[in-house]
Amino acid sequence: MPPIVKVSHLDKYFGRLHVLHDVSLEVQPQEVVCLIGRSGSGKSTLLRCINFLEEPSAGTVEVDGLSVAAEWKGRQRRQLVHDLRLRTGMVFQEFNLFPHMTVIENVIEAPVTVKNMEKDKAIALGEKFLEKVGLMAKRDEYPARLSGGQKQRVAIARALGMEPKVMLFDEPTSALDPELIGEVLEVMKALAREGTTMLVVTHEMGFARDVADRVVIMYEGELIEQGPPSQIFGAPQDPRTKVFLERYRAS
Amino acid sequence: MSTALPTPGQPKTQSQLIFEAQERVKRNFQMGVTASWIILLAILLFLFSGTKFTLGGFELKTIHLDTAFIGENATFIAGGVWETIGISALSIALATILALLAALGRLSPFPPIYSVCTFYVSLIRGTPLYLQIFFFFLALPQLGIVLPGLWAGTFALGLNYGAYMSEIFRAGLSSVGKGQREAALALGMTPTQMMTRIILPQALRFAIPPTGNEFIAMLKDSALVSATGFVHELMWRATKVGRAKFHNLEALIIAAIFYWVMTLLFSALQSRLEARLSRGER
Repeated sequence: MPPIVKVSHLDKYFGRLHVLHDVSLEVQPQEVVCLIGRSGSGKSTLLRCINFLEEPSAGTVEVDGLSVAAEWKGRQRRQLVHDLRLRTGMVFQEFNLFPHMTVIENVIEAPVTVKNMEKDKAIALGEKFLEKVGLMAKRDEYPARLSGGQKQRVAIARALGMEPKVMLFDEPTSALDPELIGEVLEVMKALAREGTTMLVVTHEMGFARDVADRVVIMYEGELIEQGPPSQIFGAPQDPRTKVFLERYRAS
Repeated sequence: MSTALPTPGQPKTQSQLIFEAQERVKRNFQMGVTASWIILLAILLFLFSGTKFTLGGFELKTIHLDTAFIGENATFIAGGVWETIGISALSIALATILALLAALGRLSPFPPIYSVCTFYVSLIRGTPLYLQIFFFFLALPQLGIVLPGLWAGTFALGLNYGAYMSEIFRAGLSSVGKGQREAALALGMTPTQMMTRIILPQALRFAIPPTGNEFIAMLKDSALVSATGFVHELMWRATKVGRAKFHNLEALIIAAIFYWVMTLLFSALQSRLEARLSRGER
């Protein structure tokens, strides 16, 4: 089967700062890939380049057979980026729920406005996903009345509502109080079990070890090592990976 | 406010005592303020009551108002209330549209659009409102453009307030975080959908209370339009009858009372609106 995500020779500069160095990465259907590394290693930037929230400086991004090259310009490209975004669902560190809409309105907003789905259909679909993240009871609440963990679960339901080919998670538990991390990771585990294709930037080593099919280590804008979690956590090859993991265990 | 009622027979806890003491201080202050206001109002009324009294052998008299004049002309002046409210409402509506366009235009990456907006704001803020009003009433006719008084006033006031209010809308737009834009884009929204569905509803909610303040300020600035003589609002009516019978004192006092009462009413309305908007946490 062809990969769902295929990133080829991606480079990214912020001004003169070179944050991604010729990065190539594939994610297979139903695979869960965890991107880990020190802060500032470029993992979030890589993730954000996949749906063009960040403009890559060079290279190609392909999602489910649709590819967009960094060099392309103009109207046609804008359409392609739009189509690419429809194939990806994104969950942010800071949730970014729409505060002026209730939980269900948050979930059905994009299906109705972007996909022109009928409202009844969108609501039925939205309720299915709220059920999945365990928040049907909060259906008509505003985000301000939810805990951080609940907000993030709604954000996951909102992204699922567009029925994307791959879910991108950008440090989904980093803004949460420690006691709320578990409920979000549980939802993500359930998604993984159902065969959702996921690319997860995270600092949760336990989650990476238990759930990931593959762990990718980033260091200063490069992918330095990847493999199944048993290998990465059990017998890392690259000395930089060893230092990173040891420092993590120490803290 | 979470202090529980003490059960009978049990001594109050220290925190309850402190809480009650603080509440007492607040209540006393509020009562003092109310009483002082009543006294100040009474003094003001006394000063304009025309009362004769002797103080230390001197015979004194407070300001005497011609009540017959007031009785004859109050209705005529009061008739200007609707024109004042009307021109203020029309002007604030125009100002809101202009302010929104100017604020949105300032976000444009396209230099001509950005420039038109900043140019407009700079020009209007750099010249007196009084001049702008006269420009619409007196300068335009020289070019053959004669607007009905109400419209000339509305354009002048609306254009002026629009420039100032564009700052309010700009603040409203920038109060919506970057994360909201990213979430909307990541879901596949176009920039227009993002603006109309996500950014503007949040920005407008932020802008409603300050727009109310501008309306209250407009009620009073609309008096400037009277100088041109074409809009028969409160101030125009007051000066007209005041000058004709040399009773400017009474006429202006009547107009002042109407302005003050309107301001008090709309301010009360405004704070209720504000309380409602902040309550929903929306």
